[in-house]
Amino acid sequence: MYRYDEFDATLVNERVSQFRGQVARRLAGSLLEDEFKPLRLQNGVYLQMHAYMLRVAIPYGQLGSTQLRRLAEISEKYDRGYGHFTTRQNIQFNWVELKDIPDILQDLAEVEMHAIQTSGNCIRNVTSDHFAGATADELMDPRPWCEIIRQWSTFHPEFAFLPRKFKIAVTAAEHDRAAIRVHDIGLHLKKRGETIGFEGHVGGGQGRTPVIATKVSEFVPESEILDYLEAVMRVYNRFGRRDNKYKARIKILVSETGAEEFSRLVEAEYAAQSPHEKIALPVTEIERITAYFSGPDLPARPSRSKAFDDARAADPGFDQWASVNLQPHKHAGYTSLTVSLKPIGGLAGDATTEQMMVIADLAETFGHDDIRVSHAQNIVLPHIALDDLHAIYQQLDQAGLATANESLITDMIVCPGLDYCNLANARSIPVGQDIQKVFADPAYQRDIGKLHINISGCINACGHHHVGHIGILGVDRKGQEFYQISLGGRADEKAAIGEIAGKALSQEEIPAAIKQIIETYRSHRLTKDERFIDTLERIGHTPFKEAIYAAD
Amino acid sequence: MTSVRPKLKPETPKAVTAWDTQTGQTVWMTPDGSWSLSAKDLGIFVGDAAEAKLSAARGQENKVTDPYFMEVTENGTICGRETLRENIRSNGPTVAYGKAGQTL
Repeated sequence: MYRYDEFDATLVNERVSQFRGQVARRLAGSLLEDEFKPLRLQNGVYLQMHAYMLRVAIPYGQLGSTQLRRLAEISEKYDRGYGHFTTRQNIQFNWVELKDIPDILQDLAEVEMHAIQTSGNCIRNVTSDHFAGATADELMDPRPWCEIIRQWSTFHPEFAFLPRKFKIAVTAAEHDRAAIRVHDIGLHLKKRGETIGFEGHVGGGQGRTPVIATKVSEFVPESEILDYLEAVMRVYNRFGRRDNKYKARIKILVSETGAEEFSRLVEAEYAAQSPHEKIALPVTEIERITAYFSGPDLPARPSRSKAFDDARAADPGFDQWASVNLQPHKHAGYTSLTVSLKPIGGLAGDATTEQMMVIADLAETFGHDDIRVSHAQNIVLPHIALDDLHAIYQQLDQAGLATANESLITDMIVCPGLDYCNLANARSIPVGQDIQKVFADPAYQRDIGKLHINISGCINACGHHHVGHIGILGVDRKGQEFYQISLGGRADEKAAIGEIAGKALSQEEIPAAIKQIIETYRSHRLTKDERFIDTLERIGHTPFKEAIYAAD
Repeated sequence: MTSVRPKLKPETPKAVTAWDTQTGQTVWMTPDGSWSLSAKDLGIFVGDAAEAKLSAARGQENKVTDPYFMEVTENGTICGRETLRENIRSNGPTVAYGKAGQTL
């Protein structure tokens, strides 16, 4: 993984020192909240329902054991013994005190972490495929490019005050696990002959106006990508609307301008860049950054592991877990495992201090010190020998981390909702928990197969409800919580926005409605291998809507 | 800071709530104008007196952040359109969290 150089370390330490002074002035009363708010947001500090919340950046979701241990220590020392992993592959601490935040940031800086650009109208954490560098189905590792973009965008003076926040995702796999088409910019690494480059998707996003990104460039060579991004950002900064917060995202600009005209503007901006402005990324720099991501030196292993096969035969729980939570690795004898943070009846994305410590220890002992956070709010250990899996499973099980549900119906994306968030209109967590209880039976979940339920507590869509196969949106009806179901969303390479099924339902009605949807799917699927989303797309929404509202 | 701040009529009983600037904890103004961590201690204000209390709260920026009115009954019970939100602010999340939220 990337390691800070002296410039990175100096920059982060100076920011901590600067913010320490700003906090002191706020506590002394010489900075008022209106003056302080933009400063704290630039350092990832929100004021939520019950307390300050600190959002810490985890660049493209990658952590080492030392870093995860430090996050665990912070959760114990300054918070309430847990952290919440987010759909931006970051972590949030929900109960920190303002007076402690400079010390927390100093603790983070010691392990090469920070909270810079985790809020505000700037370029946020660049996200990526959580299996990057390990999966068998990628063209190359996208993380070096995430890091290059991170370095380019951090404290970029021209893009510190954009019309709105800006999110970039990068993938190199045909199966899109990074949801690039619902990002402001989604980049897909491609190859033309021997040249590496990017397919560029611009103007995707969720929120109150969900839009699937438009492909505005077929191929931008790698040496030109930063100049291309610079051109896109300049067009957005110049023409993006600042008069209306709800129309300020680049998706609105692309929609209102038209993809063709937007592309022309970008091309014109690109052409107008003077030679001294061109970054023209040198090959040596690409190679320097790429070297950080060469990956662990994995000893050769046979593709079958007797220890693994024997343990599966002897331990039914392990067998179930192994059938669901493993991803093929590019090296024989290895796998990428998902540590589910979605226990039945638990809180999606939350991990306690002890759990973070367990995962850090496992990564250090067995996992080449490599830990990933997925945008689906789980943890991934990307490089695990099949021989070691049973020992890891047993430790995960002891720590309450061996739920066998990766990408199954109980593996839901759930935003914090009204239990924590000031912006929310309704609670999300209890709704997710109630649904989980209906589908708690592992055999039932496996029978249903891969299915994504995403829940948001408001139209800002932090729970990605627009792109859930089944989406649930909490709405306020005269002070009462109601929930709108949508069908057919997806975040992958066939990205689509879900369609609202009908009138909103009460919290009590939601689990039964989801059950009706699932039973409709089970009765219509051609085979057990036909996934929910494929059945839905084959037969249309009508049978599902009729099932939801049959009692009306 | 909240997404919705209801406009309350002058005669509507109301309390003043905010966040402790240092800790971020939710606080309520007591009848004597001090601050409590418990909504049970909140003062009930109406009319010009309520406006004066809110104004006073806004003058204590180093102590409390973003004070605003919340609707209460004459007995001081949280009520109105934002009842759920204010009850969650008052009582904490409706779900067990941290170690207590684990389902081992």
